[in-house]
Amino acid sequence: MLSVGFRALFRREILRFVRRPKNTFMPPAITNVLYFAVFGVILGGRIDEIAGYPYILFIVPGLVVLGAISNAFENASFSIFHGRWNEYIHETLTSPLSYVEMVVAYVGASAVRGLVVGVIIAAVGRAFVPIGIEHGLFLVATMIVITALFAGLGIIGGLVARDFDDLTVMNQFILRPLVFFGAVFYSLETFEQAWQINLSLLNPMVYMVDSVRFGLLGHSDLIGVGILPGPYADFAPLVSLGVLTTGTLLVMAIDVYLFKIGYGLTD
Amino acid sequence: MPPAIETVDLVKEYGDLRALQELSLTVEKGEFFGLLGPNGAGKTTFINTLVGLVRKSGGEARVFGHDVEDDYQQARDAIGLAPQEFNVDRFFPIKEVLTHKAGYHGIPASEAAERADDVLKRVGIYDKRDERFDWLSGGMKRRLLLARALVTEPDLLILDEPTAGVDVQLRHDLWELVTELNEEGTTILLTTHYIEEAERLCDRVAIMNEGRKVTVATPAELKQRGTDTIAVRLASAPAATPDLGSYAHETTVSGDRLEVRVDDGGSTAPRLLNDLEAMGHEIADLEITRTSLEEIFVDLTRSEDRTVTRSSAESAGDDDPPANDNREGEREQEGVA
Repeated sequence: MLSVGFRALFRREILRFVRRPKNTFMPPAITNVLYFAVFGVILGGRIDEIAGYPYILFIVPGLVVLGAISNAFENASFSIFHGRWNEYIHETLTSPLSYVEMVVAYVGASAVRGLVVGVIIAAVGRAFVPIGIEHGLFLVATMIVITALFAGLGIIGGLVARDFDDLTVMNQFILRPLVFFGAVFYSLETFEQAWQINLSLLNPMVYMVDSVRFGLLGHSDLIGVGILPGPYADFAPLVSLGVLTTGTLLVMAIDVYLFKIGYGLTD
Repeated sequence: MPPAIETVDLVKEYGDLRALQELSLTVEKGEFFGLLGPNGAGKTTFINTLVGLVRKSGGEARVFGHDVEDDYQQARDAIGLAPQEFNVDRFFPIKEVLTHKAGYHGIPASEAAERADDVLKRVGIYDKRDERFDWLSGGMKRRLLLARALVTEPDLLILDEPTAGVDVQLRHDLWELVTELNEEGTTILLTTHYIEEAERLCDRVAIMNEGRKVTVATPAELKQRGTDTIAVRLASAPAATPDLGSYAHETTVSGDRLEVRVDDGGSTAPRLLNDLEAMGHEIADLEITRTSLEEIFVDLTRSEDRTVTRSSAESAGDDDPPANDNREGEREQEGVA
């Protein structure tokens, strides 16, 4: 897997976004300063604690997830689509890299961007409120899985897109609403109706935000609402991570398949 | 040793359009092979099938014995492609573009950087190594495409109309470079519209039309298929058109000028002169005009003579130029098309 060719493509993909911090790292940093200032400090001061945490602290994990997965998705979809648009993805396609190597390099580099943005957002949050890490290993595993998942979805988006507007639609009109309704700014435990919780549980973002919140704060809504039966309730975050990991591997398998059949890549 | 390129009944369909029609072609290792054909003949589709940018609908395609789909990594590793379109990474300076491409082919970073410098010098744009692609002139862009194809030191170099729209100087530079590469052992597949280019560079050429192979021959063999014209100026205008033998396909008289169309002007001229003198004509001047490769090409690819269906392709073969040593085999191949 770590062939010279794989490392060359991975490095190229990393350099593409590292050399453009104004386009890649500064926007989420600035946006999240605004989020923390407005939602955390100005509005948060008027909101009671949620699940026993100050509001500004409660929203940190969700904002980390929002930034990380949005950037992972955006990086992968843009890199693939821009390469298709200008046809320089042919440089990769005509190389002896295997389809698995191509996909892992694109997904890996985009996941790295998502992780870096996640760390930046956490650092911004740290400037507003002290943040500890309750379950470090779980947090790292979750972040890697969800950024890889959205990088993998970004590849599908980049292959499916017909023009740049399609990429905007995917990110702004599908991804962001799902994240905002993914218990970023509220706790599932605040819902009084069962159907509200059940509907929320259909949103995959809920599990991602909850897992990161569990890693950072040690709190899980999924444990609180009892998604698993009694004696297994505390395993909810692990089950979430397992399902997310399975989903990520599935999406990457789809990516490899699409590369193999040349979907959106070959005539 | 397997051929550099071997395709058997290669087919590519886009809906109802058959871009490649049972194309069987073999390019031997070390050959300088030309693909000629009008726009839409299927040349680029053929090339892209080899490098993995087009998925074949049927048939077989191998590069140095490696199937282009089953053994795609080995096949692609052997190929350097300089395409028609400018499909270069815009994000990086051109030297990095080359090191990345070399890297994808498994060449370690330090060696890739050296190779990038070498090929940039070889194509004459080393001083632009830190520029991005968009800042290069049209000619430099064309040179970069060649450099990118060379940086992996391919066994098979594919040049898809490399001199389209370039100035005379660059064209000659490119010709010199690819000739050197071929002499060093690189197999070269060249597509071109320029007949002169094929005639000058290629060991053999295939003429394609509407996705089919019309013929494969050396440029010299192709030229032999045309007819030559022997123009004779007589001391006095003849009273009537001389009745020459069957070697004269067509004879026309205009004043004291006589034009005779024959298969081979050089070998027929002495006989013609003897015949004319035997008829009492006095010869004042003689000129032989050979058929150009371009005329042969136009004749072979004249679209009204050819249609895209298999049955009509077979019947079209009956109208092809006179037979020579290669005709039988080619007619058989056309029958497959």
